[in-house]
Amino acid sequence: MNKIKVLIIDDEMDFASTLAERLELRDFDSKAVESGDEALSLFEGQWRPDVVILDLKMPGRDGLATLDLIKKEDPAIEVIMLTGHGSTTSGIAGMKKGLFDYLMKPIDISVIVESINKAAAKKTA
Amino acid sequence: MDKSSPQEGESWISRKTRGLRSILSLAKRARRLRLILLFTMLLIALLPLGVTVGLSFYQYRRLIIEETHNNVRWSANSTRQAIEAFLDKLETTVLVINNAYTLEELADPEILDQIFSKLRAEHDGLVDMSLIGPDGIQKSYSGPFDLSGKNYSESTWFQNALTRKIYVSEVFLGYRNIPHFVIAASKRDPKGRGYWVFRVSIDTLILDQFLESMDTEAVDDIFLINEQGKLQSSSRYYGEVTDQASLRLMAQPKKTGTTLMVDQREDHPLIRAVSFVQGSPWILVLDHQRYFHRTSWITFRNQLISIFFTCTLLAVIIVFWLADYLARNIQKTNESREMLLQQTEHTSKLASIGRLAAGVAHEINNPLSIINEKAGLMKDLLQRTDDFRHRDKFIAQLDALEKAVQRSRVITHRLLGFARRMEVSLESLQVAEVIEEVLGFLTKEAAYRNIKIEKFFEPDLPDIQSDRGQLQQVFLNIINNAIDAVADGGEISIACQKTGQGIQVDISDNGPGIPPEIMKNIFEPFFTTKRGKGKEGTGLGLSITYGLVKKLGGEISVRSEGNVGTTFSMTFPLVQKRRAEG
Repeated sequence: MNKIKVLIIDDEMDFASTLAERLELRDFDSKAVESGDEALSLFEGQWRPDVVILDLKMPGRDGLATLDLIKKEDPAIEVIMLTGHGSTTSGIAGMKKGLFDYLMKPIDISVIVESINKAAAKKTA
Repeated sequence: MDKSSPQEGESWISRKTRGLRSILSLAKRARRLRLILLFTMLLIALLPLGVTVGLSFYQYRRLIIEETHNNVRWSANSTRQAIEAFLDKLETTVLVINNAYTLEELADPEILDQIFSKLRAEHDGLVDMSLIGPDGIQKSYSGPFDLSGKNYSESTWFQNALTRKIYVSEVFLGYRNIPHFVIAASKRDPKGRGYWVFRVSIDTLILDQFLESMDTEAVDDIFLINEQGKLQSSSRYYGEVTDQASLRLMAQPKKTGTTLMVDQREDHPLIRAVSFVQGSPWILVLDHQRYFHRTSWITFRNQLISIFFTCTLLAVIIVFWLADYLARNIQKTNESREMLLQQTEHTSKLASIGRLAAGVAHEINNPLSIINEKAGLMKDLLQRTDDFRHRDKFIAQLDALEKAVQRSRVITHRLLGFARRMEVSLESLQVAEVIEEVLGFLTKEAAYRNIKIEKFFEPDLPDIQSDRGQLQQVFLNIINNAIDAVADGGEISIACQKTGQGIQVDISDNGPGIPPEIMKNIFEPFFTTKRGKGKEGTGLGLSITYGLVKKLGGEISVRSEGNVGTTFSMTFPLVQKRRAEG
């Protein structure tokens, strides 16, 4: 079975790259990028993630706008919001746009893994 | 934070004393208000009363005085007119006799006797009748006294009578030494021997009869005097007939009609009617004393005074009570407003603290997560590395680091929850819609655990005014709790209906129920039974939910039964009573 491809979009590269590395250690194929634009260019390079882990508050295009962009590009990609700026309102707004899950930073890696697995299961289902 | 006021740093003690000071000044203001109310209302109540009583007093007194004056004037007038009529009749009679009979006839004592006896039968008070010659010597006499041959040439009345057609004399004693007066008519001697005088004398008793007939309640003293102040009839207070009366007229009386004179001395108020008796030398004097001391006046005055004092007493009691009641109420309102203001101030301070806290929490979450991930990665790597010296110790350190991050996470999430609790933005919304949104958040978890969620939403529910985000928070938390409470394959039901002035939401589960000892504390801050399960998705406890529901003007209650389940009931008002502070 192929590895689940996970893309982490977060302007805090220190966080994103570390998380990506930890997910690699847990048998995910993961990459980290700084912004939605970078993510799109990755898509063009024919690397398409199964699950995206998305920060909410980013300079330039924020999480919700990036979510729109991703869903437009490929609705099959499941997106998990992972943010330090969480609120119920933004969570629900995201849910309406097709968000799979909404998690708050900082978070235990096991919760993220669980969520990614569920999202991937849903995608393949 | 820049937005916070300089007062942010003030201690709770100075805040409390400031509150106390403003309450004290409120009490002072209330006292002043009470005084103002008291005086104003007393004035409003007593002024018209006083004016009415005063006017009544004055008017009634005026009426009594007027009535007394009229009575006195009427009494004096009628007495005078009676005397005048009496005199007039006698004068006419005297003139008729004087003209009808010749001197010789009148000088004849037999004829005179005849005339006198006839006249006496018709007129009361006649004493005698005589004819006096020009020399003043009585020529003939008919009467009870022996006065024949008396010389009247020196008498004032005789001299006066000589020069007039008819003359009424003053009262005098004369030869008979009995008070009487005369009516005399002069008659020219056809033989040219000067003027003769025909006279009748009248007992003053007849005058007394006239005067006594007027001796009623309206009259204290009634008598006649001449212009020199000599009494012409006996007086109750000024002496006997022909005495000189020590009488002081308060004004010059008019020659005709009746003149009223008022002596307003405090101890001896007196009204006096003075009237010239026409065709005589007499002046009628009628005294009426103590006219303010009449029973009707005193009764009226006493009644008026007692009414005034009773009304005043009543007004004072009512006004005192009313002023007290009003001032108390106003003070109460002011105090509660002051309290509210302080509360508002406190809440808005909390809100800014909340905003500050939220900002800090958000900012700290990012570095915290970096620490978390770095430590996690180190641990991951260590776990995949062969054993080396201190390996386990390193892993233990990293575990401790992760735990510290978890603790920090709990703190920042609580801060965020606190901040969210403070801010309210109202909009018109459908409760059912908000519940649906929240369910969208949770159905995956529920489906994963095969939990059945049933909805019973009454159709056509009205919109309510509330804060969408906070309502979401409330429902999210309660439904989350329910999901946590039930076993896999459990059931949750959500009912939404209109009640009274609001919307009621019941969220029930068929979980194990809440033990009674926990029920007591269920809404208390930071009280939890599921610490450390990694399931604090929102970071908000039931206490925050409770605070949110209250803040949105709603009520929340919980019923639970062991092994049957738990129901949280919430009601939210259709309209917010007052705008919540944000």
